[in-house]
Amino acid sequence: MSMSRREWIEGAALVGVGVAAAGAMVAKDRFGGTPPDPKGPDTVRPLAVPIPARADEDPLLRMQRDLVRAMQKTAEERRWCMIIDTRKCVGCHACTIGCVAENKLPPGVVYRPVVTEERGEFPRVAIDFLPRPCMQCEKPPCVPVCPVKATWRRADGITVIDYDKCIGCRYCLTACPYGARTSDFGEYYVDAQAMDADSALPVLGPSALWEHAPSHEYGKHWNRRGHQSPMGNARKCHFCLHRLEVGQLPMCVTTCIGRATYFGDASDPNSLVAELVAQNNTQVLLPHKGTHPRVRYIF
Amino acid sequence: MSNNVFPKKTRRQFLAGGAMLGTAGLAASAEALAQAPRESAVLISSRPDAPYDLAKSENILYSACLQCNTGCGIKCKLQDGVVTKIDGNPYNPWTLLPHLPYATAVHDAVTVDAAICPKGQAGLQTAYDPYRLRKVLKRAGKRGENRWMTIPFEQAIKEICEGGLLFAHVPGEENRKVEGLRDLVTLTDPKLAAEMDADVKAIWDEKDKAKKQALVAAFQAKHAAHLDKLIDPQHPDLGPKNNQIVLAWGRLKDGRGDLYKRFAAALGTVNAHGHTTVCQGSLYFTCKAISDQYIGGKFTDGQKFYWQADTENSRFILFVGANLFEANYGPPNRAVRLTHHLVERQTKIAVADPRFSKLASKAWKWLPLKPGTDAALALGMIRWVLDEKRFDAKFLSAANKAAAAAAGETSWTNATWLVHIKDGKPGKLVRAADVNIDGTFLAQAEKRTTKDGKPYEEKFMVVMVDGKPVAVDPNDEKTPVYGDLFVDAKLPDGTPVKSGLQILLETAHQHTVAEWAAIADVPESDVVAVARELTSYGKMAAVDVHRGPAQHTNGFYNVLAWMSLNMLLGNFDAKGGMIKASTFDTSGKGKLFDLKAHPGKITAFGVSSIRHGVDYEKTTLFAGYPAKRNWYPLSSDIYEEIIPSIGDAYPYPVKALFFYMGAPTYALPAGHTNIEILCDTAKVPLFVASDIVIGSTSMYADYIFPDLSYLERWEFQGSHPNIPQQVQPVRQPVIAPIPEECTVYGHKLPLSLESLVLGIAEQLKLPGFGKDAFGPGLNLEHPDELYLRGVANLAFGEKPDGSQAVADADAREMELFRQARRHLPVTVFDEARWKAIVGEKMWPKVVYVLNRGGRFEDYDQAYRGNRVAHPYAALLNLYQEKTASTIHSGTGEPNPGYACFVPVRDYRGEQPGKLREGYELAMVTHRTISHTKSRTVANPWLTPLLPDNGILVHPRDAQRLGLRAGQLVKVVSATNPAGRWDLGAGNEKLMIGKVVLTQTVRPGVVSFALGYGHWATGARSVVIDGQIIHGEERRAAGIHANAAMWTDPTLKNICMFDPVGGSVSFYDTFVHLEPLSPA
Repeated sequence: MSMSRREWIEGAALVGVGVAAAGAMVAKDRFGGTPPDPKGPDTVRPLAVPIPARADEDPLLRMQRDLVRAMQKTAEERRWCMIIDTRKCVGCHACTIGCVAENKLPPGVVYRPVVTEERGEFPRVAIDFLPRPCMQCEKPPCVPVCPVKATWRRADGITVIDYDKCIGCRYCLTACPYGARTSDFGEYYVDAQAMDADSALPVLGPSALWEHAPSHEYGKHWNRRGHQSPMGNARKCHFCLHRLEVGQLPMCVTTCIGRATYFGDASDPNSLVAELVAQNNTQVLLPHKGTHPRVRYIF
Repeated sequence: MSNNVFPKKTRRQFLAGGAMLGTAGLAASAEALAQAPRESAVLISSRPDAPYDLAKSENILYSACLQCNTGCGIKCKLQDGVVTKIDGNPYNPWTLLPHLPYATAVHDAVTVDAAICPKGQAGLQTAYDPYRLRKVLKRAGKRGENRWMTIPFEQAIKEICEGGLLFAHVPGEENRKVEGLRDLVTLTDPKLAAEMDADVKAIWDEKDKAKKQALVAAFQAKHAAHLDKLIDPQHPDLGPKNNQIVLAWGRLKDGRGDLYKRFAAALGTVNAHGHTTVCQGSLYFTCKAISDQYIGGKFTDGQKFYWQADTENSRFILFVGANLFEANYGPPNRAVRLTHHLVERQTKIAVADPRFSKLASKAWKWLPLKPGTDAALALGMIRWVLDEKRFDAKFLSAANKAAAAAAGETSWTNATWLVHIKDGKPGKLVRAADVNIDGTFLAQAEKRTTKDGKPYEEKFMVVMVDGKPVAVDPNDEKTPVYGDLFVDAKLPDGTPVKSGLQILLETAHQHTVAEWAAIADVPESDVVAVARELTSYGKMAAVDVHRGPAQHTNGFYNVLAWMSLNMLLGNFDAKGGMIKASTFDTSGKGKLFDLKAHPGKITAFGVSSIRHGVDYEKTTLFAGYPAKRNWYPLSSDIYEEIIPSIGDAYPYPVKALFFYMGAPTYALPAGHTNIEILCDTAKVPLFVASDIVIGSTSMYADYIFPDLSYLERWEFQGSHPNIPQQVQPVRQPVIAPIPEECTVYGHKLPLSLESLVLGIAEQLKLPGFGKDAFGPGLNLEHPDELYLRGVANLAFGEKPDGSQAVADADAREMELFRQARRHLPVTVFDEARWKAIVGEKMWPKVVYVLNRGGRFEDYDQAYRGNRVAHPYAALLNLYQEKTASTIHSGTGEPNPGYACFVPVRDYRGEQPGKLREGYELAMVTHRTISHTKSRTVANPWLTPLLPDNGILVHPRDAQRLGLRAGQLVKVVSATNPAGRWDLGAGNEKLMIGKVVLTQTVRPGVVSFALGYGHWATGARSVVIDGQIIHGEERRAAGIHANAAMWTDPTLKNICMFDPVGGSVSFYDTFVHLEPLSPA
């Protein structure tokens, strides 16, 4: 099964550069160009956080208030940004796994790794942690390389992928200087065939039910079955757009046990992220690449 | 140390621009080409929008995690009845800071997700592990062969209760008759049991040897008709044959704990033993000794508990052997209370640990002490603090409760009480009524009665006030007495005495600070610097200790030394100081449902199978020193003794062993010694396990009963000492049970611990189960009758008049409660049944509690000014008379009653010099946040974070020993020179791991992360009903080197241990790494 999937992916890759006639048939209606993003009054969400505010509240609540305020604006008026305070990161990988669980990511697909690096010599040692989501660049190098316009940058600053358009050529993977995109090779954490509850393991429990529930990325249902998208596609962090829609912060933010990850609307001067940018010397990764990331760091 | 999820680029490369250049982009139109349908919310495409199921209130259930015992509040989100996402419960103070007010409407809280760690999130994979058992398994081959047959529940219960030729199908066991439980439950008459118990206690209390023997003879004469009920009539203090049933457990929480302990009580066995000593037993039992109260003229009622630093409010914390960003009760609750304050410089921390942990990475100072030298490091600081007079003199001088109150304190120490010095050694505390001053006594003894009406003679303690002896009543609330701190004097009758604080001072003065620092091998300047910080913030500083100091042979005294330092700081019950856990009661006595009521229960009596809670010298087994095995008068739940004691049949042979949620073979140091015993049917004739999978210990059982995972069952999780609010998180069924159903007391139930216990209770007609189990009209035929009543008690509150009851759930909440449980079968959720159990009036309150995942005091209620709202408020024993009265069973030496540095020693008191010869590396262990010893290997999401643990080695050691990174090495030690796990039945697993070079361990020390190197739990193939179930290679990866940890040279079948506090020795072994692949 994995072999055939791989062949299919490779076939699609050839289509991407336009040399395989057979593939071109498959991809014909994928070249329709980038669709418009939802914009204007329809994108305004009348959300609320009906919890009484307090001065010392958890930043998760403060940011959720910032979020629902931003959702009361139109999409094009929002300027999503993430601040990661590495001084508060305890290297727990709650964000990594939270993201994997939320977005039902298969083996090999990770939107939010945390790089752990040891420095110094005993006894003067340090361990640094660097969470690395998609930088949601203002000039995303991954977008122009897409041969089928399956990926684009939205007005609110989030670069998205339409899996149904993506042909799995992986050009975008190569283009991203941050390694923020990974390819869905169609694998499962639990080998469904070896662990089929009804046949092979009559005494033991059902196999991984969690692996077969649809994911909610982009506010749609994605069933990873057969050869359906997003299997075979490029995948990346989207700031949990589907959660923002209902007034919830990205999963990597709400799972952060050290409260090191901040998210909000940078265009809102009252937001926590705006406050942090003003108070700290924030930095971006690989500034010389000219990508202008929307993810900033405090070291 | 490497990152396995994203290994290719380092942080440096990202910052400096070393990452590879992107492929040149193809030109692409940025124009939108077509108008999309307007209804699209996020992504305009041909694929229809779909609702976000996980933000809907009817798809959410709150419960409590058990991926580790931190037990964070969880918010389980379901899709079609399947949990697919777990987040933190915002009502629970573990995961949101401050947590939501308890009165917050559940509909208002729906979108608030709180934070939990990665393994908490991966917990759903524990519940949906394909290796979960669904039917009862019976052994089809030899123990450890992993050949099984499925049998009906009823048959299994009958076989266990009635015994017989149960394993005639196994070669070699054709004629082995197994005694059933019915043969063992011989003493069933409560009156007789109570009499025998009293008679045994009289034997124990008799000090004269001849008189003791006479009492034994009298016992035999009095109970002549019932001697057949005893294990050994020559030793009536071994108790009845009922004691030959041992109920053991790994992780057991209240609720289930109440059921399992009720089961033990109904069987009439004293043997119900937990696992505490494999975790941080000596921390618990040192604090139990510290918290003993002077009641009825003796020291008693110490609590099995400990204190931790008030993480959120401390200005300075020294963490010792505590790795709380990865473990130690625990990451979500303590990280959130620290990180912001560390960055804002409101809090400063130091970490003492041979390994540079993630916590240490945020510390101002790291003290990489030599393993096992905690007390030396502590005494160095204690000396400096005493010499520099930077201790809280007012707090320490308060000699009784009244003095504490007058000083604005809630707790007080016995630092000033005078101790008799006999032959230069501290012994008993001086009693005022015994001090004769020129013919008159310092105080007259008073006849008093205890709270429960027992008469006793109060003789009072003595302190010096301005050099003159003064009697003091420790519990006096009216007359404050402040004693002199440092006393080295003679009483008027010539008796040499010292104050407890003087004894500590002299102990600390055995070495200079530089010498103590040298023993711990940390710079003296760092010892002083940390001691200075500790004493720079008043009561808002603390020493927070965990496993590190406790899991050594000298664990008790390591912990006592650190806690003594806290006493010098006077930080107990203070905001920012040392605080304790506070939980809401669920047992309900005197309030609503008395769930401790147990009509018909017999008094269990006799020496326990692990010889705890009694002095060896008092028993009829006393035969000089060394005792055949160690005795534990001060501790309990000695996990490492459960199976080895059975192996030695000391104090008596055991006939039936039950194990619930435990994996001692895997979790214990030298756990392989347990395997050999478990494989021996002569030593362990009947072994029954309750487990969710075929685990690393349950694989040796005769029967495995499938259990419910933590997402399918009830429990009351309780709290931890770092949570200042009063709480009680409730674990409740979130998903439909995975195991099949069975029938007990006429009810259909999922196979589970509950059905196992109730099934046996029904078969044997045990008291305290079935009809009228808690009293007239209060049955226990269904587990809901215990658990729902527990929730009702919780909802009712602590006040007998019910004035502390929670609010009623409103109609909207009631409907949500039903909707959120629509996927649960009637065996689990039946509104009519639940409501009938708790009654009409309590029902909406029960719903209110369950809708919030437990009961939680509001954030702002935790403090009263600069004191905690739930203080310890009692005596702290800096000097421990009771401890000083106990004798080390291996050496015959009295145990010291004060903090001191004891080197690492074996049972006979020998320092392990010989064991170290040729083994150059000290081995310790650590936890990564992604694993909890034996259970989390089932979670595939966690594997990529660290697929293989390896052995952490300092490059300096590697160079010296010719090892390189990634090289495979075998871990060998003096007591396991072959470096192997003998898994029984001809199977073995070598302790082979890859070398990981890192600067984060102290040179000379190696460490491995726990949770790897499995041989069960899906890691190995098994045969069930003739069919092979293949194991997953992933689960066997890495190394588990516990079998290299030293066995005691004399006792042989047990790891080394702390003879006082009971802890296992986890961090004392020296090993050699034998290269397998070329360097």
